Amino acid sequence: MGWLQSVFNFRIVSQYWEVFAQGIVNTILISAVCLILSLSLGILVALGRRSSNPLIWRPLAVYIQAIRSTPLLIQIYLIYYGLPALLPFGNFLNETQTGIIALTIHTTPYMGEIIRAGLESVHRGQIEGALSVGMTPRQTMTNVVLPQAIANVVPPLLGQTAVLIKDTSLLSIIAVFELMGAGLRMFSETVIATESYVTTAVCYLAIYAMMLGLSGLVQRKLGGSAWQEN
Amino acid sequence: MEWFAHKWDIIDQLTPFLLQGLWTTFKISIVAIFFGSILGFVLGVLKTLQIYPLEKLINTYLHLLRGSPYLVQLYIVYFVFPSFNISWLNFDSFTAAVVSLSLYTSSYVTEIVASAIFAVPTGQSEASRSVGMTKAQAYRYVILPQALKMTIPPMASVYVIVIKSTAVLSVIGIAELTRQGEVAIMRMPGDIMFIYSLIAIFYFFYCFPVLRFSKWAETRFGSIGIDLK
Repeated sequence: MGWLQSVFNFRIVSQYWEVFAQGIVNTILISAVCLILSLSLGILVALGRRSSNPLIWRPLAVYIQAIRSTPLLIQIYLIYYGLPALLPFGNFLNETQTGIIALTIHTTPYMGEIIRAGLESVHRGQIEGALSVGMTPRQTMTNVVLPQAIANVVPPLLGQTAVLIKDTSLLSIIAVFELMGAGLRMFSETVIATESYVTTAVCYLAIYAMMLGLSGLVQRKLGGSAWQEN
Repeated sequence: MEWFAHKWDIIDQLTPFLLQGLWTTFKISIVAIFFGSILGFVLGVLKTLQIYPLEKLINTYLHLLRGSPYLVQLYIVYFVFPSFNISWLNFDSFTAAVVSLSLYTSSYVTEIVASAIFAVPTGQSEASRSVGMTKAQAYRYVILPQALKMTIPPMASVYVIVIKSTAVLSVIGIAELTRQGEVAIMRMPGDIMFIYSLIAIFYFFYCFPVLRFSKWAETRFGSIGIDLK
């Protein structure tokens, strides 16, 4: 086993398993909070973007384009340094809260665009058909439009969530302790690059594998293949 | 008014310095998209051949690159590769940046090329086979010309992703736009917000036209329904 020890030293990694476990938990928690916040704000952005009032949709369009054409790292820096000046209580936010705000601001437009595309993907004929067989607008929405829109929206939303989890790694640059932060701490204490960074990558891949499994499960449920129907 | 003059002074002083960074960003992103596209094109075509072990191998490669953050990949290429004791893997920071970014880009391009080829109706390849073309000829003369046209809009989006990813390279000390801005902030620590906003505007003017082009190309060449983040 000596050769394996020289390629990848499991003993040192095992000393750091608590740090990495904490990192994984923090990454998942930060991603979950950001997901909930950006989904709810994304619904508002999607609805506002569909509004006919230029005072509502124009600023939102500017917001979406501005976020999409600047790097996340710059957005994180702007919010990290700018928030204390902008908000009266900005000084009292710790770096994790700042990071969550930055990531939410970054992810909301992407979520909004996905939701908007989902709402627009339901064919007009579906709504007209539902209304013409005597459904009320409310029944049309709950029984016809939303089921189809949700089925269309969930796969890209899961993809965006995977991106969100990867994006949390950039928060390590403003000293948030998450998975990447765990790798950086191990590297700064042991100065062995291979074990620190490969372990980090493996942990991210484990989270990604969980996401893949989940998305397969959801798509089977939503796809409703013939033998599942009853 | 004095405030305005002061800020104008900063813009005046910093613009050449930041443009130098933008030039490095441009160089790295062009080289990375070039090599990434070549690698991605080859892998994408190989993936559509549907040879069992090869397809599995390519899918694993894609999952590895799509499942981990670019920051981790950069650290692995820059810090872990030299420890293999192979002399040509001992990259300097610029090479490490280009190599990691090219690999990252190739994961997107592979998926785009593969889905564009799958989006060409099967009747096209069946028809070309039935008039006596070999499989290679069918790819060369019938399928690829149609598929490559459809890759143009998503490739523009990938280019924007590459440009935005170059900001991360500042952590290994490449003097690109973000890094130049950080250096400028060390010189003028009172204007952090202003300098970062300036950098954001530089990035915006670089990326926004490309995003616009992607949207226009989608109306011109059609969408293959691939979703890029």
